[in-house]
Amino acid sequence: MSRAGRIRAETAAAARSFLRRRTAVIFTFFFPLLLVLIFGVLVRTQPGGGGLFARPDAYYLPGYLATVVLFTPLSRIGSEIARHRDGHRFEKLATTPLTRAEWLLAHTLVNVGVIGVASLLVFGLVTLVTGADIPVSGDLLLLVPFVALAVVLFCGIGAVLGRVSDSQDGVIAASNSVALPLLFLSDTFVSPDLLPDWFLPAVNLSPLTYFSRGVRAVTFAAPDGAGLAGVGAVGNLAILAVLSVVCFAVGAAAVPRGE
Amino acid sequence: MNDATVVRAVDARKSYDGTVALDGVSLDVHEGEVFGLIGPNGAGKTTLVRALTGTADAEGTLELFGDAAGDSDRSRIGLLPQEFGPPERLTARELVAYYGGLYDESLPVDDVLADVGLADDADTWYENLSGGQKRRVCVATALVNDPDVLFLDEPTTGIDPAGRRALWGLLDSLADSGVTVFLTSHSMEEVERLADRVGLLRDGELVAVGTPAELVAEHGGPARFVVAGPDVEAGADPLRDAGFAVEVGTDELVLGDVTPAELGDAVTALADASVGYESLTWTEPTLEDVYLRLTGETFEGTFTPGASAVGAAADGVAGDSDSAPAAEVER
Repeated sequence: MSRAGRIRAETAAAARSFLRRRTAVIFTFFFPLLLVLIFGVLVRTQPGGGGLFARPDAYYLPGYLATVVLFTPLSRIGSEIARHRDGHRFEKLATTPLTRAEWLLAHTLVNVGVIGVASLLVFGLVTLVTGADIPVSGDLLLLVPFVALAVVLFCGIGAVLGRVSDSQDGVIAASNSVALPLLFLSDTFVSPDLLPDWFLPAVNLSPLTYFSRGVRAVTFAAPDGAGLAGVGAVGNLAILAVLSVVCFAVGAAAVPRGE
Repeated sequence: MNDATVVRAVDARKSYDGTVALDGVSLDVHEGEVFGLIGPNGAGKTTLVRALTGTADAEGTLELFGDAAGDSDRSRIGLLPQEFGPPERLTARELVAYYGGLYDESLPVDDVLADVGLADDADTWYENLSGGQKRRVCVATALVNDPDVLFLDEPTTGIDPAGRRALWGLLDSLADSGVTVFLTSHSMEEVERLADRVGLLRDGELVAVGTPAELVAEHGGPARFVVAGPDVEAGADPLRDAGFAVEVGTDELVLGDVTPAELGDAVTALADASVGYESLTWTEPTLEDVYLRLTGETFEGTFTPGASAVGAAADGVAGDSDSAPAAEVER
């Protein structure tokens, strides 16, 4: 059993622990659904056709998915580290065979499961409520690794935030400070043509950009037919995979060990 | 218990922001030994546990089973941190199974829960258990991997007397089976009852180590015989004439350094002088006396008959808290 057994034990405990916090579960799913309802249904496009939300509904699917793959791992992993620290759980875990990477992997797996379900709900809601025209093909299966890798990536960053923050309140503040700029400056809801030229290189520095561009390549056919699947999706997926590995490694190193 | 060294610290040192937490601590704990660590709050007990378990860095040599503390075989270590708070919404059974699942081999969960007296509450969420039950679950998480060395940082805090005694019995049997136990506690009764040897930490320094009996003999001060009653002052001179050192207090005489064999002589001296009394109390020094003498702690703020009692304690001649009221010295 060894490694697999340890990860299984940690994953089971983390999953049970999360699923029994009803408020946390409800808001994990309610938050992205609320966003879809507000921005997909209530917010209207300007008469001239410009500004935010002026593009076809399917264009914004990556943005809605980005919300769940970004906010939830950052705040959940960060808060979990703060909770562990408050309860001196790392001190105890440091005397068990469980490694930092195994701990982070276990909690990442829980997040992948939770966020996978939330992403499915968002996908369904966007399709049904906004009437987004999403091309149905086998390429849609690429959404699975996109979501999974993005969750891994932001769990890694969440671990770093949990390490540097000294309380659960601090984690929430730090994760919001990181997530909000990323959400709106990563080619999600705000398309690059709405940003000044000098800022565009910064968009490429955001790991979320590769998620949103890749997901868009799979789910959105531009009027001229460009951008659907193909190299765009795979290339962004590859970049996302590399960034996920790096962020996970950094996050694993950041998981506290002892006091 | 045998001579194999399981826990070793040589000149362990640790400071936090200029505050010395460990100041050259050296000790050995042998296989099957129960070592009790006592000391005031902030003396460095938890820091030493963390250093020995490799969960905090410290200077010096810190070893478990001959390996550096952080590199030792983790499957052989059981740890109960002082303020341990496991996930709240897991049942006692799930928590013990969770920590057991982190090891290749672990004890049956139900057996461990039964050992700590939680068989009937195994399916209750941790957050719904009482304080004492929570602590017992925490102890169970330290036992589930069947460790060879067990570090328990104040294990019985919040546990009721019956539960405490049950846990003591369990620790006794573990030690008998060869498990080495490193225990910190503020309960002198607990340490005196369990520990083969006791170490006393003060300001990060290990100021005394020995068996409870050795520490009491060396640092506990003399046994005392207290004669109490409204007219006992008249017995002071006859007792002195009989060779006893006598201190006169309010309605009491305190005879220092009296052996049990001498008690009859003291009573005879009082009878010969026709001195009446209401009670006779013979008090041996305890580990608590050792603690108070070596730490210089007092009970300021609590009721102590006789103003001089507090001063006496501060001077390192505190009375046993379980004994008769401290006497005013009149020589």
